[in-house]
Amino acid sequence: MSLPIVIADDSLLARKVLTKALPPEWDVEIAYASNGGEALELYRAGKASVMFLDLTMPGMTGFQVLEALQHEDLNTFVIVVSADVQPMAQARVRSLGAIAFIAKPVTPEALLPILKEYGLYV
Amino acid sequence: MSDPVLNEDQRDALQEVANLAMGQAATRLATLLDTFIELSVPRVRVVAVRDAANMLRDMTGIDEPVTAVRQGFRSDIKGEALVICRSGSIAQLCALVNDPYVGSTYEAVSQEELVYDVANILTGACVSCILDQLGRTPVFSAPGLLGASMSLDSVFQANVLAWEVALLVEVNFALEDQSFRAHLVMLMTEDSIRHMNEALDALLSSL
Repeated sequence: MSLPIVIADDSLLARKVLTKALPPEWDVEIAYASNGGEALELYRAGKASVMFLDLTMPGMTGFQVLEALQHEDLNTFVIVVSADVQPMAQARVRSLGAIAFIAKPVTPEALLPILKEYGLYV
Repeated sequence: MSDPVLNEDQRDALQEVANLAMGQAATRLATLLDTFIELSVPRVRVVAVRDAANMLRDMTGIDEPVTAVRQGFRSDIKGEALVICRSGSIAQLCALVNDPYVGSTYEAVSQEELVYDVANILTGACVSCILDQLGRTPVFSAPGLLGASMSLDSVFQANVLAWEVALLVEVNFALEDQSFRAHLVMLMTEDSIRHMNEALDALLSSL
């Protein structure tokens, strides 16, 4: 069965770049969210075994999505993909339960080791 | 001549390109000020320069006197970047930075220096990163102070700035307690905006 994943970013360009960086052989079913609220809805609908999450989004930010997930059961692997590469931002998302932080623009080389480390792609 | 406008895909792409640039600039600014910089989504609009002051006022809520630093950049995409902040907030910024800005006998000079430093970092990192993603390497002219305490309307006076069209890439850097915000605006000629549109299309079609 395909692994359900969510790509949450307000930018179409960013969603495309990320989709292209996924391993081509990875058996996934991708759902897209263009803001934090949509990402949470998809999570609640069981479509996010893995969530790729941007931080700067209008309305509900990635930080707020992480906080909301903590109040639910956080039954997903959140990989933050962000242009905000300040060390403090990275520390903050990890303390909020994200498994990894990838700087934009995301590359297959940056993504693959993380997917392998967590057994998401073998 | 028709108005240069961005279609929805180009606007989205430029916004994301600006978002990446903003992240780079924020990291450098955070290092200079030793604090966390809060980032919001950059906003992109194309307006006539005569409408730029009103548009920026709507976007930022600024109606106090501002300090503006200008810096030109050149490639086939050329224009001028303005870094604008509320003049009254610069003292708070200075308070964050230790020597040589605080307690100096030359406080006025030092405030100006700090504004130059901040403007230089934001312009350099932002404009370079945006143009780099579009395959251009800009040459910068020396930064200059447009004014230390002026109204937004006088910043965008047509006889001061040579550009007819403003591509407002409003990038917003705020200290966590919101005591200081800086806004970066890029002004360009219509020709340059067309070159930028082509570069954005090329970027989009490469995916």
